[in-house]
Amino acid sequence: MYPHRRWLHGAWIAGLGAGLATVAVAGLVAHLIHGTLFAPGDTALLPPLILAMAAAVLRHGLQAVRDGCGQRLALAVQGDLRARLIASAGHTGPVRMAHRGHAGQWAGRYQDQVEALGGYYARYVPARLLTVLVPAVILATIFRLDWLAGALLLLSTPLIPAFTALIGMGTEQVHMRQQEEQNRLAGHFLDRIRGLDLLRRSRALASAQMDVAEAADRYRRLTLRVLRVAFLSSAVMEFFSAVAIGLVAIYVGFGLLGFVEFGPAPGLTLFTGLFVLLLAPEYFSPLRRFAQTYHDRAGALAAAQALAPLVDQGAASARAPAWDRHHQGPLLRLEHVTVRHEPDAPATIRDLSLDIHPGDMLALAGPSGSGKSTLLAVCAGFMGIEQGRISARPEARAFAWIGQRTHLFHGSVRDNLRLARQTSASDRQLEAALEAAGLPVDDPALPDGLETRIGEGNRGLSGGQAQRVALARALLSGSRLWLLDEPTNALDPLTEEALLDTLFHHASSRKITVLMATHQPNVLARFPRILHLPAGSVRENGRD
Amino acid sequence: MTEWRYLRTLYRGARLWNAAAYLLLALTWGAGIGLLALSGWFITATALAGAGLLLALDIFTPSAGIRAAAIVRTVARYGERVVGHEAVLRILARLRGHAFAAIARLPAEHQRALRSGDLQQRLTGDIDTLDAIPLRVTGPMVAAVLAVLVAAALAIALAPAGAALLILGTAAMTLAAAMAAARQGRKPGRELVRAHTRERIALLDYFGGLADLLAYGHLSDHQDALHRQAQAQARRRLSRERVVILAEQGVQLLVTLAALAMLGLCLHWYLQGVISAPVAVLLSLLTLGLNEALAGLPGAWWQVGESLEAVRRLQALAPGEPAPTPRPEDARPPSPADHGPPEHQVRVHRLAVGFDPRRPILEDLEFTLEPGRPLVIDGASGRGKSCLLDTLAGELPPLSGDIRLGDRSLASWPEHVRYQYIGYLPQETVLLDDTLAFNLRLGRADLDDRTLWAALRQVGLADALRDQGRGLDDRVGEQGHRLSGGQARRVALAWLMLRDSPVALLDEPFSGLDADTETRVLEGLVPWLEARRAVIVTHAPARLPGHWPRMTL
Repeated sequence: MYPHRRWLHGAWIAGLGAGLATVAVAGLVAHLIHGTLFAPGDTALLPPLILAMAAAVLRHGLQAVRDGCGQRLALAVQGDLRARLIASAGHTGPVRMAHRGHAGQWAGRYQDQVEALGGYYARYVPARLLTVLVPAVILATIFRLDWLAGALLLLSTPLIPAFTALIGMGTEQVHMRQQEEQNRLAGHFLDRIRGLDLLRRSRALASAQMDVAEAADRYRRLTLRVLRVAFLSSAVMEFFSAVAIGLVAIYVGFGLLGFVEFGPAPGLTLFTGLFVLLLAPEYFSPLRRFAQTYHDRAGALAAAQALAPLVDQGAASARAPAWDRHHQGPLLRLEHVTVRHEPDAPATIRDLSLDIHPGDMLALAGPSGSGKSTLLAVCAGFMGIEQGRISARPEARAFAWIGQRTHLFHGSVRDNLRLARQTSASDRQLEAALEAAGLPVDDPALPDGLETRIGEGNRGLSGGQAQRVALARALLSGSRLWLLDEPTNALDPLTEEALLDTLFHHASSRKITVLMATHQPNVLARFPRILHLPAGSVRENGRD
Repeated sequence: MTEWRYLRTLYRGARLWNAAAYLLLALTWGAGIGLLALSGWFITATALAGAGLLLALDIFTPSAGIRAAAIVRTVARYGERVVGHEAVLRILARLRGHAFAAIARLPAEHQRALRSGDLQQRLTGDIDTLDAIPLRVTGPMVAAVLAVLVAAALAIALAPAGAALLILGTAAMTLAAAMAAARQGRKPGRELVRAHTRERIALLDYFGGLADLLAYGHLSDHQDALHRQAQAQARRRLSRERVVILAEQGVQLLVTLAALAMLGLCLHWYLQGVISAPVAVLLSLLTLGLNEALAGLPGAWWQVGESLEAVRRLQALAPGEPAPTPRPEDARPPSPADHGPPEHQVRVHRLAVGFDPRRPILEDLEFTLEPGRPLVIDGASGRGKSCLLDTLAGELPPLSGDIRLGDRSLASWPEHVRYQYIGYLPQETVLLDDTLAFNLRLGRADLDDRTLWAALRQVGLADALRDQGRGLDDRVGEQGHRLSGGQARRVALAWLMLRDSPVALLDEPFSGLDADTETRVLEGLVPWLEARRAVIVTHAPARLPGHWPRMTL
């Protein structure tokens, strides 16, 4: 928020100015009425009226500026946060990002959680100071006019937050008792939509229909039980402000009649009386605004909690990888490399040294959590290292990556293949690559050939076919280094063998360097050399 | 506007609650205006009386009125909040029921679209937007009109016609601004919602395809594109908020200026002796008090465009009138008498399956399901096995050829009869967030607990559950997450066996089960399958009895 303080300051200044203009309008109106009634000859109607109108224009203009500044502040903070999320996803790399949530969750954080911070910065943050400042200005004015009226307002003020806090505690209690059921009922509709196919096959659609209506009704009853308590706080707000205004009016009225003998009451005039009366509602209106923005804060707190891990991890990924891109030795050389996922977590890879030469075929084996994927991510440059040194020949910079589940981008098959080629490839080249990858362009899965649209969740393509698209991408890219992170893990055995056959055929005929993480014996059997993790020892296959 | 007509039918059930909430809102505002105006009248009158300019003044009636206004204001505010939310939640219940009913009536192939998680989320979100329209948009409008009419009536009673005209003119201008805002706001609102969807797609590609973007050097292009989208979206939001803010402050200014004009006019009448001074103050404060009622209107109506976009999507998904309440006999369990044609023969003749007639995935299929001889289908994934089972279950129309169930073609059986004959366990396990018993009894409310336990024993789950101290009344959690993957799969298997249908289709029934469990499950399942006509799709056909017929795709 700090770089955007100017918007906050703008909101404060405009809000304070609007408060002063409000006092001016009230004073001019009171003056005009008083003058017209008690000195009709000396008081011209028009000049004070026009002045009051000008002050009103100023007041609402400044309030518009105040709200506009708040919005600017919110948008600026949100823009920063989104830019940071995007950039830090790039630094953090796909392997660690996937640990922290799937793509849909990240998209939700980027769009919805950041959006939820809007009200907090736009309204709550500017209102926090103005809720004290503006009433203080008004109260000071009222005290100067009539301290007893001021005292009446001041005394009613602390009661509002006190009662609101009490009611808040009561609400919390009701909410706690039924939270679980309430959440479940809130999600009931979505749950039944997800289960549509099951319900249809069970011939239970009709009863589910009644079930949905019933659950929604139960949800209503539970929610209202909480709301009936929660809304007491707005009633308290109204009660104290209405009673305070009424008390001021009655005090002023009786004072003007001469019934109140003590304090400043005998000195009351119509001017002071009307002035105080007009200011009384304005005294409460910032408080009311603040109470309305209070739920913005609750929403923002929840969102901030979801976003915090991303902001904190900045330090972990800031460490630049010790890469030497220009050396002339092996294709990739790792010397005494140590990697940690989080700064205080145990090392995932400890003191590992490894040479990879062009044309090598190396499997990375080991149980899950032993650092196979981490090592691949380090070789790809997706992750920084804590200690050690990595040297790479310039050609190791261009690599192809195939993970467990290939992401297919929204668009046509052609768009998805072109991703791998900086210079545009001809349709013939794309079709040849698909054919080589085992997914010929006339396959039923591609009804429109290269034009076939691929939507959400790789619609229309099976897991094996998506992996074949990834393989076609790797072939098209012309990269000499393939980094494969359990590429057949999500496939059934038949599909797996077929894909591995294609993959090995191309890798060996093109002398491509392959590093593949896997834990499956049938896959390991295909490799001449295996790196066993976490030990870090390389063995020739077949000799344990 | 058809969207509004659609909304009216949805809100019909909560009409009385809405009307009560509107009245209470008008009363809240009325009491607020009354409090201020009456106080002004009282102070002015007492000032005159104190100076000896007013001879007789009843001080008790107005001060009682002030107290009453303060109390009415409090009570009405509370009532308006509670009643308004009662209406909102009633509408929500109705919307959910109606949307679900409308979706349930869609043919199976149209429901397929709803398997997408994004669409499910959007549908739920849309419904949640719609329920608040009466509270945020229509309610304030109706209450404001009521408050204005009462104020104008008072003005007519107390002063020359000019005063009422001033009030009505101000209100008319505000309402006109609200209507203009509603019209003008539709397009930007729609654009905002659509850009949000486009941005979501780009984000899914960015976060999901991060590895490929890094590997092939496209990271910064994508980041730049996302930044541009975020900036464009921020500009759209800013211009929306600007309109809302300007409208709110503009209306407040308009009303304040009207109140000052009223003051000038009334003081002028007072000097001419037409009205008294307290009444002059009362009318000015009355006009000023309308601020609360009028200020929010144009902004709320400007944002109606976003809600109408949600209505349009909902209408496209769930068109027409709300469904009639389901007849009880639809939900009745199958009785032996309904058990279909005497021979539940399933014959497949020259069948082609797939999604696109130009590119069938499987062609020229020809087989008959024999009782006691389940058909085992194997083959690599992506060869259309699941597609074939969907077609056999009647959920996907065949591209060509014929499937006969008994003496009629499969498609000619009404849906609820078809599922009485055919039990279908798809590849993905789906469980409802409810109790274990609820999930097992779906569509078979007649089953007793003993039968349920027997089925759980058959799939080798009964002992495991008892050991964990769990029973039929324990919840399985959202999407079955309180069970392990293998347990959830076996619950689904038990569900299938309890349906006891003469034809059974099973897609990868053992996925997620380890070898021991699979052996145990097979013990119960093999005789069950041999007692009916069945198709079983599996990657591991070797584990099934050798004499069952096989088909490799």
